[in-house]
Amino acid sequence: MKKLVALVLAAVMLLSLTSAFAEAEKPTLTLWCIATESDANRPAYEKAIPAVEEALGIKIEWEAFENDSYKTKIKSTSADELPDIFFTWSGAFAGDFAAAEKIYCLDNEFPNYAADLPEVMLQNSTYGGKHYAVPLTMNIVTLFANMDLLKQVGYDAVPTTYEDLIACCDALVAAGIIPFGCSGNATWCVTEYLEPIIEKTIGYEEMNEIFAGRATWNNPAIAEAVDTFQSMITKGYFDPDGLSLDNDTVKANFIAGKYAFYQNGSWNCGEINDAEGNFQAALFPVMNSEKATYGQVIGGPNDALAVSAASKDPDLAAKAAFALGKEICHYGYLAGSGLPAWTPDYDTSAVKPLVADVAKMVAESEGMVLFGDNAMSADPANVYLSYVAKVYGCEIDGAGFIEALANELQ
Amino acid sequence: MKRTFTYKLNIVLFLLPALILFVGILIAPIIMSAYYSFHEFNLVANTDMEYKGLENYRILFSSMLTNPNTGKLYANSMYLGDALGHSLVLAALSTFIQLPLALIIALKLSKGIRGERAYLSIFFMPVLISTVIIGRLWMNIYDPGQAGLLNAGLRALGIDKWLFPAITNSIKSSKLPFTGQWTGFRETALIAAFIPILWQYVGYHMLLMYAGIKGVPADLLEAAQLDGCTEGQVNRFIIIPYIKPILKVCVIFAVTGSLKSFDLIYALMKDTSRAELPSTLMYKLLFLHQRYGLGSAIAVVLIVLCFLFAVLISFAFRDKGAKVA
Amino acid sequence: MIEARKFKPSNIIVHVLLIILVLINLFPLYWMITFSLKTNDEILGYSYKNEAGERILVPPNHVGLPNHWEWSNYEEAMNTGNMGQYFVNSLAISVSVILITVIASFMATYALTRLVWKGRKVMNKFFMLGLTIPIHAAIVPVFTILSKLKLLNTYAALIFPYAAFALSMGILISVGFMGDIPYDLDEAAFLDGCGVWKIFIRVIAPLMMPAVATVGIYTFLQCWNELLFATIFVSSGKYRTLPVGVQQLFGQYTTRWGPIGAALTIATLPTIIVYIFLSKRIQDSFIAGAVKG
Repeated sequence: MKKLVALVLAAVMLLSLTSAFAEAEKPTLTLWCIATESDANRPAYEKAIPAVEEALGIKIEWEAFENDSYKTKIKSTSADELPDIFFTWSGAFAGDFAAAEKIYCLDNEFPNYAADLPEVMLQNSTYGGKHYAVPLTMNIVTLFANMDLLKQVGYDAVPTTYEDLIACCDALVAAGIIPFGCSGNATWCVTEYLEPIIEKTIGYEEMNEIFAGRATWNNPAIAEAVDTFQSMITKGYFDPDGLSLDNDTVKANFIAGKYAFYQNGSWNCGEINDAEGNFQAALFPVMNSEKATYGQVIGGPNDALAVSAASKDPDLAAKAAFALGKEICHYGYLAGSGLPAWTPDYDTSAVKPLVADVAKMVAESEGMVLFGDNAMSADPANVYLSYVAKVYGCEIDGAGFIEALANELQ
Repeated sequence: MKRTFTYKLNIVLFLLPALILFVGILIAPIIMSAYYSFHEFNLVANTDMEYKGLENYRILFSSMLTNPNTGKLYANSMYLGDALGHSLVLAALSTFIQLPLALIIALKLSKGIRGERAYLSIFFMPVLISTVIIGRLWMNIYDPGQAGLLNAGLRALGIDKWLFPAITNSIKSSKLPFTGQWTGFRETALIAAFIPILWQYVGYHMLLMYAGIKGVPADLLEAAQLDGCTEGQVNRFIIIPYIKPILKVCVIFAVTGSLKSFDLIYALMKDTSRAELPSTLMYKLLFLHQRYGLGSAIAVVLIVLCFLFAVLISFAFRDKGAKVA
Repeated sequence: MIEARKFKPSNIIVHVLLIILVLINLFPLYWMITFSLKTNDEILGYSYKNEAGERILVPPNHVGLPNHWEWSNYEEAMNTGNMGQYFVNSLAISVSVILITVIASFMATYALTRLVWKGRKVMNKFFMLGLTIPIHAAIVPVFTILSKLKLLNTYAALIFPYAAFALSMGILISVGFMGDIPYDLDEAAFLDGCGVWKIFIRVIAPLMMPAVATVGIYTFLQCWNELLFATIFVSSGKYRTLPVGVQQLFGQYTTRWGPIGAALTIATLPTIIVYIFLSKRIQDSFIAGAVKG
């Protein structure tokens, strides 16, 4: 018996070894991304990949990882273990890879696609004047509203002033409806609320300066914004369960009609648009009209594909990355999992209404600030996130928040 | 005879596989960790090692100091103080709740109760289940939504009506009401992490103790019974002193296990900050902050602490053992 | 001691308490298996509109058996989750680690206890340092070493570190077992003209067979569950181990409880089944470790 088990094991190990040497006929590229089963971008990848395989006569072996674990995984993978093409966030995140020359410069391939891809969309992944990543879609923080619930308390439109929003929330609470849902399990979800509030208090120019490390966090207006956010939490505007729920559950709760509002990335547009119910997209209202305007948004072209510098055929991988970027953008836009970074050369009449609304907001935007955790490099971004996490649980107040960040980041 | 048994080459050859593994993968890395801890570098960005002296340790420990100017703790996101405090609480809970429970069960089972073997098997079973799975299973049990088993049970029994407000009142770290988010608050997250540990490892310690008790010579026990000792007296004066070496091992495992524990917290909570332990903090510093020097400094602190506790516990047990004898 | 087995009323209380503990022990597993076979609607509760247009709320089914047995959850976990592959990987890694640990620790123990040389006590103490060193503390240096040796993303990336960290326990246990083998046997074999290697292979190793099971169990417990090394040192799905695979699957199905439950069950059941058949042997070997160590 023991010998049999040993034999079987030996056979299994041998098989797995030999399979590693099996060769494929077509050139094969590997791809890592975060388009897991539950991710809004999944359908776009599922359509784009076969299309690109067909067009370029290649085979793409792809694997999807969960968002949070992907961040650590991609950073802890040594250069020669990286797949040929991988999803990355632009800004400082991809900047680390570019600085270490772990990703391949795409300047040779870019001119072939420049007609469809405005150069401004590459600005978040351009380092030292060189382009290092292919943008997919762009996204902004969007305030989604369940109009059926708003109607119950007498609102036909999403409030556009802060006073009106508070009055609406009070009415909702009085009617036994929870105004907002926010996941406390993933800190980036909290930033989706906090960053627009800060932006609408201090204005986008100042906020960009702070994220870039050129202005101090020690700004009483930020403390005021944090206190505003916390006053909304303590007044019971947020579902307390959210503290230990993950984002997918919170989103499912919103779609199921448990919350009146859900503020998160515009990549949710398609899913919310298709759900049963009457939903609208809006922006967070202005808190300080001297510094900010309604049209200022948080976001930008943030999702991108990079090519590993250690790829066996980086030029082919670069070609595939651009082709994939274009197709993922195309299908993502139509599915409503993002706004186009590439100029559409296809029929856009089928774009979902909610997506079209957000696209309009972007087109008319009066200022843009990149998501904080992408604008800053790894260490400051995570220090920032660790304090944002404490804000949601009301463990520190506004004054504590700015003091701590000023202390540690400047 | 002596010659072959002392032949130096043979000694080296016999030790070689173990030494290569042990020194190459355990001792050398620890020395490297110590070296890294005086530097800062980024493995992703391939930056050069920058000598920092004791700066990393200052950053870690300053979170435990009070700023003389403001009278408040130094603001610091590397809550080493919290993490150490949490692991000490976990160690205390394990030593003073888990081990006594294991001892009581072991004492009862070892006295020849019907179905002894079946009980042993069932209590030991969770030890074999992957910690990641246990973490996730308990995450579902603690779920604050509709499906969570614990909250559903509490609601069905009507306990939530008075328990939840009571917990809300005792929560100091947050202004949010407690509605069953067991992993959401500092005060509850650590307890929430301890319960699965207790659930998984009580059987482990119980089996170790059971083995020890079975090793107590029968004539010792019979003599005690003839002297008219009650069961409690036999337990207290004969069995427990006899199995002291095993109890020592159990305490060392429970305490160093608490210092080391990572998998469970990581699987149980996506955001570990409310029950931060040195190992989860190290993970964050290494792979999120990309501060490999600072992370290595925590690794060194961890090693020193584990070692220190092992020595202290051995010392405590040696002392008392001498008195009994 | 036969009298002790006699019926005593106090024993009933003990049994009742023990059975309560058994239920607490088994209930989470029962719950896991039942929700692995339910639909999300059944787990979370749902509402629907009846013919009269009223909304009917169906509360979640927490502890009951599934109303509708949703076997497709398992299909999904197997297909998307690749659990079979991860299971084989974990098994291959664990078996290799056990083999290496057993051989290395038997050899070292032989040198430490049967061969006469100065410094063997110190060397033994040196190996015992490994008992308290937390495995995770070595992650960065081990990562750099593996990366320099180009061993990342192979079975070896996990096998050697796991074996290194299991070694101290292995030696501790082996010293206990080897001490029970009478020295006369060595002497007799020596007089027959055997060298140390022959004595080790022909005389000592066969008598150490019971120790294989004990070292094996402690080693298995250490490496079967390990998560951090397995996450960081292996990135390709080909070599991924079960804990990482399960963790990965959770990320994919954050809101769908059924496939998560199925994955949990798939990852747990094989060990439990093996345990049910071998529980006495496993416990005896485990106990032997406690006594010898």
